[in-house]
Amino acid sequence: MSSKINGQVSPHSCSHLLQFRRRNGPDSFRALQDCLRVKPPGGRASIRRDPAEVPCCQACGESGSNRLYACVTCAAVSCHAPQLTSHAAAHAQSMSPGHEIAVDVDRAELFCCECRDQVYDQGFDAAFVLAQNTATTTTGSTLMQYSAEPGNLRKRRRVDYRHWSPDSRECVTMTNLSTPLYDSTNSSDVPWGLRGLNNLGNTCFMNSVLQALLHTPLLRNYFLSDRHNRYHCQQKNVANNDGKNGRLCLACDVDAMFSAVFSGDRTPYSPAKFLYSWWQHAANLASYEQQDAHEFFISMLHRIHEKEEKDQGKPHSQGSGDCCIAHRVFSGILRSDVMCMACGFTSTTYDPCIDFPLDLEPNRGGSAKSSSTKSHNSCNVEAERISLNKDCSISTLKGCLERFTRPERLGSDQKFFCQKCQVRQECLKQMSIRKLPLVSCFHIKRFEHSSIRKMSRKVDGHLQFPFSLDMAPYLSSSILRSRFGHRIFPFDGDEQDAPNDLSSEFELFAVVTHTGRLDAGHYVTYLRFSNQWYKCDDAWITQVSENIVRAAQGYMMFYVQKMLCYRASEK
Amino acid sequence: MELQDLQESVNIKMIQSGEKERLKDLLRERLAECGWEDEMRALCRGFMRNKVTNSVKLDDLINEITPKGKETVPDNVKAELLQRIRSFIAYAV
Ligand SMILES: [Zn+2]
Ligand SMILES: [Zn+2]
Ligand SMILES: [Zn+2]
Ligand SMILES: [Zn+2]
Ligand SMILES: [Zn+2]
Ligand SMILES: [Zn+2]
Repeated sequence: MSSKINGQVSPHSCSHLLQFRRRNGPDSFRALQDCLRVKPPGGRASIRRDPAEVPCCQACGESGSNRLYACVTCAAVSCHAPQLTSHAAAHAQSMSPGHEIAVDVDRAELFCCECRDQVYDQGFDAAFVLAQNTATTTTGSTLMQYSAEPGNLRKRRRVDYRHWSPDSRECVTMTNLSTPLYDSTNSSDVPWGLRGLNNLGNTCFMNSVLQALLHTPLLRNYFLSDRHNRYHCQQKNVANNDGKNGRLCLACDVDAMFSAVFSGDRTPYSPAKFLYSWWQHAANLASYEQQDAHEFFISMLHRIHEKEEKDQGKPHSQGSGDCCIAHRVFSGILRSDVMCMACGFTSTTYDPCIDFPLDLEPNRGGSAKSSSTKSHNSCNVEAERISLNKDCSISTLKGCLERFTRPERLGSDQKFFCQKCQVRQECLKQMSIRKLPLVSCFHIKRFEHSSIRKMSRKVDGHLQFPFSLDMAPYLSSSILRSRFGHRIFPFDGDEQDAPNDLSSEFELFAVVTHTGRLDAGHYVTYLRFSNQWYKCDDAWITQVSENIVRAAQGYMMFYVQKMLCYRASEK
Repeated sequence: MELQDLQESVNIKMIQSGEKERLKDLLRERLAECGWEDEMRALCRGFMRNKVTNSVKLDDLINEITPKGKETVPDNVKAELLQRIRSFIAYAV
């Protein structure tokens, strides 16, 4: 007799548990809930009457090696070793009936000593999840140190890299049927396609993002393999008799730019045609004012998507992997669980995302000063930076991601309508990543725009970011496993384990940085080729050391799935 | 002092000082890193799948998996824990 909760099959209850519930009513486990102790890191739970209690078996004094169970009826603690001694089973038999159900004191899980099996109670598990969430949300800072990573030792199951070079027949075919983009005898040690972009008047916001996109492996391969041919595209637009606006295609301009940048010409390139097109696409943004690099990134991907959707004449869905090139590369799916604090009912939604917006951690060189009562106009940015330098604690990208996926208690002004309670209730929200994009862009929210005070300000402060990143801990499957474990709890339990762990490993390849003030700052991009970093500062390209990159003030970080970037250095 | 009493008193000291919890956390972390946890999960799944009936009891599962689990804890993990326990004893007793 299994029943369904929110579409999930729940295990049957044994007759002993049913009897216990019948005798004690709906609040059968109330007393137990008061003994529930949840340890902040990871949120593991145990049962202790007081924090210092050292539980041991009442019959034999055992406190170490075997499982210890506390009888939920009389609180007697007994040991239990499967098939060996079980004072728990003995207790249940000697006190029979009514003392069968016990709780594992180190796991806070219910057990029937008579059936010798785990049993589940929805009310108890709901109380557990609420207690766990309260513990993890109130003691956030301890979560940070827990993440101190001891190196990823997980076994690699990558497909081996095999070098391919064309045989003589293939060589002939290639030379006869193609024109090389550049002279391959040109033996410069600057990587192919690395070319400065001229500043066309406060356009470093654009150049910085273009540099990252031009060297996003999947975009580069797409355009260089002629998947969006600008000549064909324009012919098609003319044939379709599209109006002037119909002929606009940002992907065509990107295609032209890829050709120019990978032509072998090393002199700085002026993306004037691209800029002009972009202005036409985004007429309302056309101005020589400094723009935000992230807004540019988003709007550019959006234009590419729009055009393709229009051409194909059918709506695309961003997260599905069956969309425009922009979304195929950058789009992932976020999962959000909103849980009613009164009854535990959880509603789950999935939303496509094109990047991960992350807040700098508070009290860690980030927006700590937002709590101060000083007025924040742009002229005290300098003063703020000085005060920040005193703060020596460091924020990390992993810390930001942990905060991003941590349960968050929404304020009383953000109550949601609980379907079960049928009223608006306070709630707990948790985000996780259902599907990872092939390229993850992390957007550090350094600019705060307040429409009320009609001003913006920049959040300075250093953020450490790793060169390799394992995203596994932030996947919905991991988040749900660590949050619910094997509790029965009303959540949408269709999260599979990640298909394999290799797709969760990412490598950094581009960092867009911002220096200086909000209104008069400058964007620079660092790009990685094999293990060498290059600084792309508009027209100037220079080799830099890793340390310069690590010290830079990251604004947007681009990571690509490791399995997609075989690097020469990793042979 | 009898060996058993000594073991018991060390155990209680470890619990009271919180060292036991820390060791458990460390062990859990190490076992997850080295893939042991994933392996155990796979073993459990395999065990359940091979059962004809749908009801595998927790006790059966623990019986079946525990010996394999104990065998496959990597030596370096054991060594690290042993070292931690040694230094705790040296410090506490
Ligand atoms: Zn009892
Ligand atoms: Zn006992
Ligand atoms: Zn039972
Ligand atoms: Zn086009
Ligand atoms: Zn799209
Ligand atoms: Zn509710």
